[in-house]
Amino acid sequence: MESHLLPILIFMGGAAALAVGLLVVGGLLGPRRNSAAKEMPYESGMDPIHDARRRFDVRFHLVAIAFLIFDVELLFLYPWAVASRQAEGIDAAVGDAQRMSAAVGLGDGFQIGFSRGLVFVEVMVFIGLLTVGLIYAWRKGVLQWR
Amino acid sequence: MPSPEIILTIVKVALMIGGLMTAAAYFVLLERRVAAWTQDRIGPNRVGMPLTNWRLWGLGQPLADGVKFITKEEYTPAHVDKPLFILAPISILVAALAVFAAVPVGSYLPVPESWGLGDKVDLVVAPHMDVGMLYVFALSSVAVYGVVLGGWASNNKYSFIGGLRSSAQLVAYELPLGLGILGVVLAAGSLDLEEIIRAQVRDGVWYAFAQPLGFIVFGVAAFAEAGRLPFDLPECEQELVGGYHTEYSSLKLLLFLVAEFLHMILASFLIVILFFGGWSLPFGLTGAADAEQLSLAMGIFRLLVMSGKVFLVIVFFMLARWSWPRFRYDQLMALALKVMLPLGILNLVSLAVFYELRANITGGGGWGYEMLQLLACWVVCGAAWLAVAYARPLVADNRPRRDINSYRIDSQV
Repeated sequence: MESHLLPILIFMGGAAALAVGLLVVGGLLGPRRNSAAKEMPYESGMDPIHDARRRFDVRFHLVAIAFLIFDVELLFLYPWAVASRQAEGIDAAVGDAQRMSAAVGLGDGFQIGFSRGLVFVEVMVFIGLLTVGLIYAWRKGVLQWR
Repeated sequence: MPSPEIILTIVKVALMIGGLMTAAAYFVLLERRVAAWTQDRIGPNRVGMPLTNWRLWGLGQPLADGVKFITKEEYTPAHVDKPLFILAPISILVAALAVFAAVPVGSYLPVPESWGLGDKVDLVVAPHMDVGMLYVFALSSVAVYGVVLGGWASNNKYSFIGGLRSSAQLVAYELPLGLGILGVVLAAGSLDLEEIIRAQVRDGVWYAFAQPLGFIVFGVAAFAEAGRLPFDLPECEQELVGGYHTEYSSLKLLLFLVAEFLHMILASFLIVILFFGGWSLPFGLTGAADAEQLSLAMGIFRLLVMSGKVFLVIVFFMLARWSWPRFRYDQLMALALKVMLPLGILNLVSLAVFYELRANITGGGGWGYEMLQLLACWVVCGAAWLAVAYARPLVADNRPRRDINSYRIDSQV
């Protein structure tokens, strides 16, 4: 069974059917009694004085933006983490590049500038940029909650 | 007549959903019994078999709770945004369940060839998924939507604050979670959860001991993602009367509560799979990693070992709940972004350096290098602990400053 999509779709369909089915069954079996007090938003017995959707602290927004930046950067690291430890990963790619440079006849000792070390240094620079971003956000006070 | 694979998949899905829902119900009972035991009470032990006098240690309690939930009024308040209000619990439950499609619950079981399924059945709904870890990571993030939708649609101030807090907490802890996973992926060289377990057996050491710093970062983040104490700011029974599900009742509330327990079960599964070797036991008790054919007994034994480990982690979750007070919100966010995120980066960089050095040694450096790396990882962990203890980023002076006009500070930010 090579297709992974089908089991997942069946699973999601089953889960959705369960969730909707439970709500429907509950709607059929439960009693219906309405009252004015029930209609009010629950605020520990006080009468609510205005709509709940008001302006909120901008910090939530800043955290969301910081999350977007860092999380997308992290996603780029997953392929590298897998490839750097597998036989058909970076090592194979480096071997291909070297064979190619030999085939084109670039001469002895000349290689296309691509090696395991270079990949590693580039990834470290990438993580370094991420760290610089974190330090910037920290110094800017984005991470400071009062 | 559908193919045997389809039938197998449907059976697996049914078993998985049924098992998870039952497990969630019974973990509620277990949680209450553990809570009672911690507080020197007895806990719910009355409800047993209906129509008889058998109490059975309260095992009937989850059934009674379910019946009670179903026969409650299915009520949608008039002041809410109706479609979103109903969509929120459904989406959170579907996401919480669907994650388990990629989570192996054991190794595999041998079956007769005559069933038309080959000679073995993998104990996971979608077997050999190369991006299993990414799938789990992606779907567990969908929980944020349910929380935000519920908080926003409720049109209630408690729900709104709870939803905001919760979304900020969940996204903040997703970063250390991802960094902790990256360390494991780097060590195992695969995103397939079954392959990660096998890699731990091949390496001969569980990653909780091979990369202690990564384990700490991941474990804390997993606690926070599951919304368990000491990270249960979204709920905050005492301050926010339930947070984002204040306005929910009957089965819609049940969906939220079940999803919450499913998150905890998922966190336990991930901790066991990524850091405690899944179905494996030390000293080769559970057989070789790449065994081509298992006996039925060994297949069941692996399943039991894994379930036992998950159970122990869940009990630890429950004990932690009654041992720790809740964090203050600024401490919570500081822990995520100022402690766990830098520690996660440190863990990742140190592991990357170790494995890169190893790749440059012919033959991988052998046993000696492996021990050296293990030692170095523990040294990094200790150094990180000392650094955090020295820097104390969680200590913040929150007392009002009399010497500064606070209004002026607010206008500057």
